[in-house]
This record gives sequence, structure tokens and C-alpha cells, in this order.
Amino acid sequence: MRRRHAGLAGRKRAALAPLALLLGLWQAACGGHEDRVRTALQALDRGAPAEAVAALNEQLEVETAAQLPALRGDNALLLLDRGNILLSMDSYRLSARDLGAADKSIDLLDMSRGAAHDLGKYLFSDDVGPYKAPAYEKLLINTINMMNYLAQRDLSGARVEARRLAVMQRYLRDHEGETALLGLGSYLAGLAFEKSSQTDEALLHYDDALRHGSYPSLRRPLRALTRGEPRSPRIAALIEGEAPPPPLDETGEAELIVVVGFGRVPQKVPQRLPIGLALTLVANDLSPTDRARASELAAKGLVTWVNYPTLARGKGGYSIPTLKLDGRSQPMEQALDVEAQVRAAWKKNEGTVILSAITRTLARIAAGEAAQGATEAAAEDSGPLGLLVGLLTSATLTALDTPDTRGWSTLPARIAIARTRVRAGTHDVVVGVRGESRRARVSVAAGGWAFVPVMVLR
Amino acid sequence: MPISPIIRPAALLAALTLAALSIGCGPTYVRGNQVEGLDDAAMSTGIDRRDIEQLLHENLTSLMASPVAKAWAHDGSRPTLAIYPLSNQTSEHIDSQLQALLSDVETYLAQASLVTVVSVERQQQMVAEVEKQHGGGFDPSHIAEYNRQLGAKYYLTGKVFTADERTEDERRVQYFMFMQLIEVATSAVAWQNRAAFTKALIQE
Repeated sequence: MRRRHAGLAGRKRAALAPLALLLGLWQAACGGHEDRVRTALQALDRGAPAEAVAALNEQLEVETAAQLPALRGDNALLLLDRGNILLSMDSYRLSARDLGAADKSIDLLDMSRGAAHDLGKYLFSDDVGPYKAPAYEKLLINTINMMNYLAQRDLSGARVEARRLAVMQRYLRDHEGETALLGLGSYLAGLAFEKSSQTDEALLHYDDALRHGSYPSLRRPLRALTRGEPRSPRIAALIEGEAPPPPLDETGEAELIVVVGFGRVPQKVPQRLPIGLALTLVANDLSPTDRARASELAAKGLVTWVNYPTLARGKGGYSIPTLKLDGRSQPMEQALDVEAQVRAAWKKNEGTVILSAITRTLARIAAGEAAQGATEAAAEDSGPLGLLVGLLTSATLTALDTPDTRGWSTLPARIAIARTRVRAGTHDVVVGVRGESRRARVSVAAGGWAFVPVMVLR
Repeated sequence: MPISPIIRPAALLAALTLAALSIGCGPTYVRGNQVEGLDDAAMSTGIDRRDIEQLLHENLTSLMASPVAKAWAHDGSRPTLAIYPLSNQTSEHIDSQLQALLSDVETYLAQASLVTVVSVERQQQMVAEVEKQHGGGFDPSHIAEYNRQLGAKYYLTGKVFTADERTEDERRVQYFMFMQLIEVATSAVAWQNRAAFTKALIQE
């Protein structure tokens, strides 16, 4: 009798082993990425970027922004956020370092996803495994970092970012088509080469920028740069109609470029969608077997919701920045609608994300049923234990299923640009956007230039 | 054949264990002498000490074997030589590594006693003074003006280029470094050499 009891206890222990492992994993589980950046984003909403940096430092387990964190897990993403906020605080050197480190790490993550990660993604959650940055984020790392180097008048550094951008643009053009190629990056790359007196390279980049936007602010600089001899049809179309202006050093003027990033792109947030609606949304993509299985489980009341990430509202989509130069208003043109890029990329993937959430839900139910069956087979008189193990297995996997809300949360919703000739000397620049007024005083020599980046991330 | 109900949870367990293993261990800081071959591993596509040593070795071996260096050794004239920053035309932020390379070149040439090397530090101060009037940093188009102030008979300069390519799962950066020795009076290229190496991020 004692021996039989001991045998049963052993079998029950064996049956409970998967349950213990799952419970352990449940305890180890944490919220989605949106939890890690919540405090920082709330601080940005209050107009307190220093607090936002402190909140990110806490997540990155470093004490100050001068420290680089260990680049493990999703720290590269938080580093992108910190770099962007540091740029908004005019800490260009630290921002350039953060974005540069994150750039290399994102490259590494991009190339490191393996079969184990895919398995985890299938069983647990979309946010298992390395983060795969969407095309617009990869391009914006170099674009925004170019702003840091231009602001420091480090043309060598800006040209390096321009070349890194060109490598990525070429790769995306070959693999993903033209949709993600952002004109602002090429505009700034053209500026970096133009100010380095590398005219041919500058014109190539400007021409590329004009493929993606009209950029009227380029008209006068291109007239001066080409001296009326355009190298491409796009440049010719932009500069036609007027004689080229005299070079800056001949007139004793200088050039001022102001770039304003404002608002924030929509953040990814978790959403619970009724299974019926989810099935309708992906009706054409789900296999008949899976659809029948899902409908059967939904009818039994075993599956009522699926978890998946969706885009929240953006901030700043309709704001219009104002620029005053020495008290006089200057026109600004839209250089990039980042929010539109984010929404377009999301729309392209949304069906796959929902489909993956449904498939995962079905896998969870199947795992629960398997665990229940195994427990019952191992312990003949398990009673309600088998059912409990089955339910807990399913429930644990549900708890571990955190929708993948990872993304570069602090990207500005839109970016505007102004480019104008000014007399040599000191000038007051005042930018008004999103209820904030930012001031800068810049000095430029005859024939020189100054680049003023302004980021208002609220 | 029907699958045993025991197999499915076993497969599930294996999958869970695999996923848990992917979490891995934490990092540890070490010194170069604690880990054999630590300096051998490439940790990025940038330039590291080993690359600098290779470039230095290739370039200086070539310079010392050149007719101009042999002539200096023969006549013992010890002409004044200025060393200018190597222009970074790459897709990597390697300016500080290139600066380190130039300091190594300065050290080597000073020890070789074939030329009188203008101190790189003194040279940078002079460049900064000249560029105050122009409102910027080192400008290669002003080299003639720097040389006048330094009294240099020769100057050493160069450029580093890359061919940077990316595929879905790999990134390869091929470096090409060109170094030149120019005679100030005639602008003739007295010596030139190309050194190359490759760094990459590959899928194992």
C-alpha cells in the first residue's frame, strides 16, 4: 500500500514538473516594452526630458547618461530613445554616442534571430527573441545621428553617417522596394557633402532626396551649387527659372539650417480583440483547419480574446512649427512625416501580427489539452489534477503572451526644415511648437554655415 | 501511428527549455592578459588595435623600402617631415583610431632617426591657429599654408576608404588605406602605398 502511494506520488511529481516550470516562467515574465518606457514618455509629456533620461537610465541599469549600458535584451531600443531625448536637450556628443552604439547593436540583433527565437515566438509571445527594426527605424538612426554631427560641425562624422545611411538605403532598395527610403536622410547627406566641398557626392544625395519630396528649400542652394548646370532631370526641374545666386563667400553671407522634430510617433500598445472579430480580419489568411479549430474553441467559450499589439494615437500630427529669425518669421517646410511611415509599415504587417496571435492562442489551448492528457495518463486517480494542470498550462502561456510592443517610441511625429541665407554675425533663432518655445543664438562667419536641430518630443 | 500523449508535453518541455536557454549568462570585464587571444577577436566592423598594427606594419615596411627612405639613410640629411590626419572616407567612426595610427607612425619615424618629425601635438596647435582665421578645423586645402609655417620639406598624409555591403544576415566592410609622402616644394608623390583588410559581421 505504502509502495503504491509512493509510486503515485512520484508520478504526480513528474506530472507537476511541467507545471512548476511554467509557473517559474510565469514569475519571471514581465510586462511588454510599453511598461519599460512608460515613465520616460510620461516625463516627456510633462516637458521634463531630464526626468525621461533618468527613467531610461533606471531601465538600462546605469546611473547617468554618460554611461553606456550592457547591450543585452532590448537595451538597444532604450538607447535609441535616450539618444533622441539627449538630442532634444542639445547634448549632441552623448546623443551621437548612444545612437551610434544602438545602430551597431540593431545590426547585430537584425542578423541574430534563430530557430529557437522563432519557436519561442510561436509558443509564447511575439516579443520573444531579438528585436527586428522596421526599415524606417534603421534609416532614421543614421538620419537623426547626422543631425548630431552637423550640430557639432563635425562634417567627417556626418559623412560617416551619410555613408552608413546609403548602405542601408541600397540594401532596402534591393530587398524591400522604395517605400521606406526617406528623403530627409538624403537631404542631410547632401548637406554634409556640400559643406565638405564634395559637390558631386552632394548632388547625388540631393537628387535622391528629390525622388521622395519636393523640398523647395533646396532650390536656392542647388542653384548656387550647380551654377545653373544641373546634373539630373529632378535637379533641373527644381532650379529652372532663375539665374544662380552668387556664392556665399562672395556676398559675405552665411547659411542657416534649422530642423525641427516635433510630437511623437504612435506607440505600440497591447490590445485584446474578440476572437470573432480577429477571425474576420484575417479570414483570407487563416488555413481552413485553423479557422475551423478556432471557431470550435470560440463556440465552446475556451477562446474569447486574442492579444496583439496595435498603434495608439500619435502626438503632434497636426502641429505647425513656427520659426523666427532675429524676430522675423521664416517659412518652414515639411521634411518628413514619420508618423505616416510608422502607420504604413504597421498596416503592412498588421494582418500577420493578428494571424500570429490567433495561431499562438490555438497552440496554447493545444498545450493545455496535452498537459491535461499527460497528467491523467501518468496518474490514474489524478481526479481534478489533470484538468487543473491543463488549465494552468494554458493560463500560464496566456500570461506569458505579451504582445510585441517594441519600437523606437521617441521618434518625432514629423520633421520640418528651414534653410536660409543670413548675413555673417550672430543671430537669434526662436522655434515655437507644441506649446514650447526654444531659443538658440548662433554665430556664423562669412561663407560659413550653422545647423540648429530642435526636438520637441511631447 | 498515433502519437503518445506523453510525447507532446515532452516536446513542449523541450521547447520551453530551449527558449529559456536562449536567455544566457551575464557579461564579465576582463584584462587582455587574463584571456588568451582576447585582442584577436573582432568585436565590431570598426578598426581595432590589431588592424592598426597590421596597417602600420604594411605601410612602414613599404616606406622604409622606398627609394626616398633609402636616399635619406644614405645622405643622412634628416629632412623635416610633417604628418597630417588621415582622411576618414569610410562608413565607420574611426577618427580616433586613425589619430592613434598617426601617433604610432610619428613614434616609429622619430625612432628610426631618418627624418626630423614635427610633433603631431605642436602641428595640431599650429593648424588650430591657422584655422581660427578660416573658422573651422583641419582643412586639407590649406596644407600648403601649414607647411610654410612648419618649414616641412615632406609631409605624410592619406585616406581610408571602405566598400561597405549588407545582406539580409551579414555585413562586410572592406578597408583600403592609401598613404602618401609628398615633397612640399614640387608636390611630387615621393612614396605611396595601399594596405587593405576586411571586417565583417557574419552568420555562423
